[in-house]
Amino acid sequence: MPTLKSDFYSEAIRRVLISRAGTAPDAGMVAEATLNIWRQMAAWLAPIIGIRGVEVLFSRALQLTSRAFPCLVITGDQGDSAALLASLKANLAASATNDAMEAGHALLVTFTELLSTLIGESLTSRLLSPVLTFPSPISEQETEL
Amino acid sequence: MNTKVTIRRLNTGVPGLDQILGGGLPEFSFNLIVGKPGTGKTTMAHQIMFALATRERPALFFTVLGEPPLKMLRYQQQFSFFDLDKVNASIRYVNLSDEVAMHNFDQVLARITQEVEALSPALVFVDSFRSVMLESQHPRKGSIKLQQFIQQLGILLSGWQATTFLIGEYLSERNPNPVLTVADGLLSLEQSVYRNSMVRQMQVIKMRGQATRPGMHTFRITSAGIEIFPAAVVHVDSGETTAATGVSQNRARLTMGIPRLDEMLGGGLPSGYSLLVAGPSGSGKTILATKFLSEGVRCGEPGVIVAFEQVPSRSWIRTLDDLIRKEQIGLINTRSLDLSIDEIVHNLTNLIHRMKATRVVIDSLSGFELAVAPTFREDFRESLFRMVTVLSGLGVTVLMTSELEDRYIDLRFSPYGSAFLTDAIIVQRYIEVDSRLKRVMAVVKVRASNHSNEIRQFEITDEGIEIGDPVLDYEGLLGGRPTRMVDADTVVRGKP
Repeated sequence: MPTLKSDFYSEAIRRVLISRAGTAPDAGMVAEATLNIWRQMAAWLAPIIGIRGVEVLFSRALQLTSRAFPCLVITGDQGDSAALLASLKANLAASATNDAMEAGHALLVTFTELLSTLIGESLTSRLLSPVLTFPSPISEQETEL
Repeated sequence: MNTKVTIRRLNTGVPGLDQILGGGLPEFSFNLIVGKPGTGKTTMAHQIMFALATRERPALFFTVLGEPPLKMLRYQQQFSFFDLDKVNASIRYVNLSDEVAMHNFDQVLARITQEVEALSPALVFVDSFRSVMLESQHPRKGSIKLQQFIQQLGILLSGWQATTFLIGEYLSERNPNPVLTVADGLLSLEQSVYRNSMVRQMQVIKMRGQATRPGMHTFRITSAGIEIFPAAVVHVDSGETTAATGVSQNRARLTMGIPRLDEMLGGGLPSGYSLLVAGPSGSGKTILATKFLSEGVRCGEPGVIVAFEQVPSRSWIRTLDDLIRKEQIGLINTRSLDLSIDEIVHNLTNLIHRMKATRVVIDSLSGFELAVAPTFREDFRESLFRMVTVLSGLGVTVLMTSELEDRYIDLRFSPYGSAFLTDAIIVQRYIEVDSRLKRVMAVVKVRASNHSNEIRQFEITDEGIEIGDPVLDYEGLLGGRPTRMVDADTVVRGKP
């Protein structure tokens, strides 16, 4: 369900993804950037909601996003999250650059939206602000809400 | 030179809690909040945390297995005290579930130490400790035991000058937990469901270094968080005559607003007295009470009414409505069925102070008893006594009505045995005269004052109550079926 906020997350995540992947990235660089952002998000969230809490949200985000992006379909039992992330990175790296960029972006946006559905937009923005730089006008709007 | 340590007391931000604690929460104390699931432990902890945490005095909230942190953050945000700006600025959440799941207390303690050292928090919360307890049943070999863990945690946190709360549900009399002896403070939260009502209560079982208010105190959880209604305290009579309790011949008298009633009371109702108006349904108790209030407004004496009764729409009630709308009379109107008397007393006291009220009406005790949660009905009489004592301590004059089934074989004034609680009593009754129901009233008691002992007939009109002359020609009025005295030459006199 697209909202003003999802556009807001979408823009913020796209901006970070592009800046991390570099000016002329290939799929491998996009995959690296996607996982890099994800690890940072997890690092900020895990102390608060627990590693398990982060993993559950990520699995759900992956499941939801993989319907539209076949490169996010991870088959077989991955055992642990490290193996899952390695498979994900390999899948993204093997895709066309644009596809990898869109899939990585969609995955991170879905994850952020899931978190936002549970704990609210304000708290999500607050917790993820070290990773995602949100434009200030929206932040002000948000505090007024 | 006084070298004794002064313990600073922190205002918890939970209305009523500081009063129960005896003036606030001792700084650097090691406290437990215990209670079964759903009793409000986490909410109380959050409310205290958001009230006390500042950038200079930050708070650390450790979440352990149990309620998932995501859910906790989701639901706690619903309370108005949850200030998003404080999250990560002055309040840090830290999840310990991974350390606890490894069954290694050394590691849990190390992680807590690491976080405490990093932030130097003034407040530390661990929610919930029950999860730690459960995990303690499978300790890792070589790991420290639970008791050592708790003792070390207590030492660590008091050494770091942190006021600490452990939240859990570990109150078993059979198996007292070591944490109970280590704790400086112990708050117990309960909820009881009886029939259709649910009542929340709490008590301070222990708080080192200060006199707490004993007993169970009811509380509610609303969107603003927890509000506690401290049980009213009945002070031991010192023997000194106070303005409220002493008997003084010079005590001011209040006019009742009903012609001839003041005369029956011996010149009005003494100020600060409590008056019970008892009578059967429809006998005119509410009208009498309403007149008492409107007369107060006329004399510049604001009043408050606690209404539990459905009131008919008559002109005198409209007058009351007008006075309430103009805020000349305060109204507490409740149809709730899970009240505690303490909650009513709390709200009433606040309203009396706000309105500077000197007259209070409780209409009626019968409705009040119905509105009180079934759990409290067993103690209704005792609670009523506390309420009357508190109101008397405030110096207000109280009029309470009481529905009384007409019984013609005995003379009763109240179904609660509350007649002795009050300083004055007016009783109303129906009698049968010439196949008609007539109303009579009498002043049964006005403590330390002369008063009329006549039984007077009265009528209810659009203007209110009209009291007639004494009923002299009949006898056996209290039996309900008076007989005309043989030598009487008139029937019932007095009706204008």
